[in-house]
Amino acid sequence: MTITSEELVQGLDDLPSLPAVVMELLGSIDQEDIDISVLARKVSADQALTAKTLRLANSSAFGLQVKATTIQQAMTYLGFQSTRNLILAAAMTGCFPSGRCPSFDDKAFWRLSIATAACARVLARHMRFNQDVAFTAGLLHGIGRLVLVTRFPEQYDAVLRERKRLDGDLQGTERAVLGVDHLLAGAALAEHWQFSGTMQQAIAFYHAPETPGAGFLATIVHVANAVAHALDLAGDADELVPAVSSVAWTALGLSEDVWLHVFRETELQFEEMTAILMA
Amino acid sequence: MSDDHMMVPVTQATPGMVLSDELLDNHGLVLLAKGAVLSEATIASLQRHQIEAVPVARVEAHRAPDEQAVVARLDHLFRQHDLGGDDDWAAKLLRRYVEDYRLERQVAP
Repeated sequence: MTITSEELVQGLDDLPSLPAVVMELLGSIDQEDIDISVLARKVSADQALTAKTLRLANSSAFGLQVKATTIQQAMTYLGFQSTRNLILAAAMTGCFPSGRCPSFDDKAFWRLSIATAACARVLARHMRFNQDVAFTAGLLHGIGRLVLVTRFPEQYDAVLRERKRLDGDLQGTERAVLGVDHLLAGAALAEHWQFSGTMQQAIAFYHAPETPGAGFLATIVHVANAVAHALDLAGDADELVPAVSSVAWTALGLSEDVWLHVFRETELQFEEMTAILMA
Repeated sequence: MSDDHMMVPVTQATPGMVLSDELLDNHGLVLLAKGAVLSEATIASLQRHQIEAVPVARVEAHRAPDEQAVVARLDHLFRQHDLGGDDDWAAKLLRRYVEDYRLERQVAP
């Protein structure tokens, strides 16, 4: 059983779709002339999405002095970019229903994604990198796994069983069984959804951040992902810390006392965000 | 979020828990004030308002971490890494820092 890149790309349109307004937000990532008030109104029409987004915006991670009670207010207080990322986070977690792939633990998947997002955001602040971009990249870095699990549930179940048997790394097992891996699938989806180039690179190279041209965002997501595994936040008994690139680790250049703060902050934000996003 | 409170799903909230922050409904109106003590009635009301989780004050006493359990779990998490050699030093550092963090060791700035 080998999946070609053509098969992978062909199926992307069949993926369980996101709410229309979320697709619009995804398409607006690099757009300057977007009508914010129109978007805010559209999002507000979805009550569940609005409530989740506002709870995130009002969580302590964002440190608002005044609570935002409407999407429009959140955009005023946090800015359009931050709010859009929160809306995406609120909409993404919970989409892609599973079920046909019993070995795939979607709760653990999202817990790991949220932990990576929280850590990437904390790291970005220390590195004076765009925190919103880092958060979104961290949240979506493993999105290729959702593509594979949704498009090829039976085959992906075989991947996960094989991985458990060998206790090996996921990417290697995916390649051996399917012929493609979740980085390729994630990159295809990121391109299909017209993510920015930096975001596409981060999703495609977070396992190999030392690849020339991978970009600093890939470095942040790589290390954040390793930290999320090492802090054991997914709640997976078979948890395994992936390879840690010494190039990426050195590029961040943080001392131990800073790292301990990063761990603490990651755990606190993680706790708060999972309570909101996975309720 | 500070150390002294945590988010608890409403389904797991119990009477007597103390709110560590004010609680707003979907329209931004205050449902319960900071410091309010939850009762069966207020928990039911939160559920009616579709509140999913509440920030409550932590009360449990601080317990020292179980060093043996922490080390055993970290050994398991890093089981695929060659922590004896010099090549995997980034993973080695990550492992050591997480251990220091879990065991609440003092680290010089």
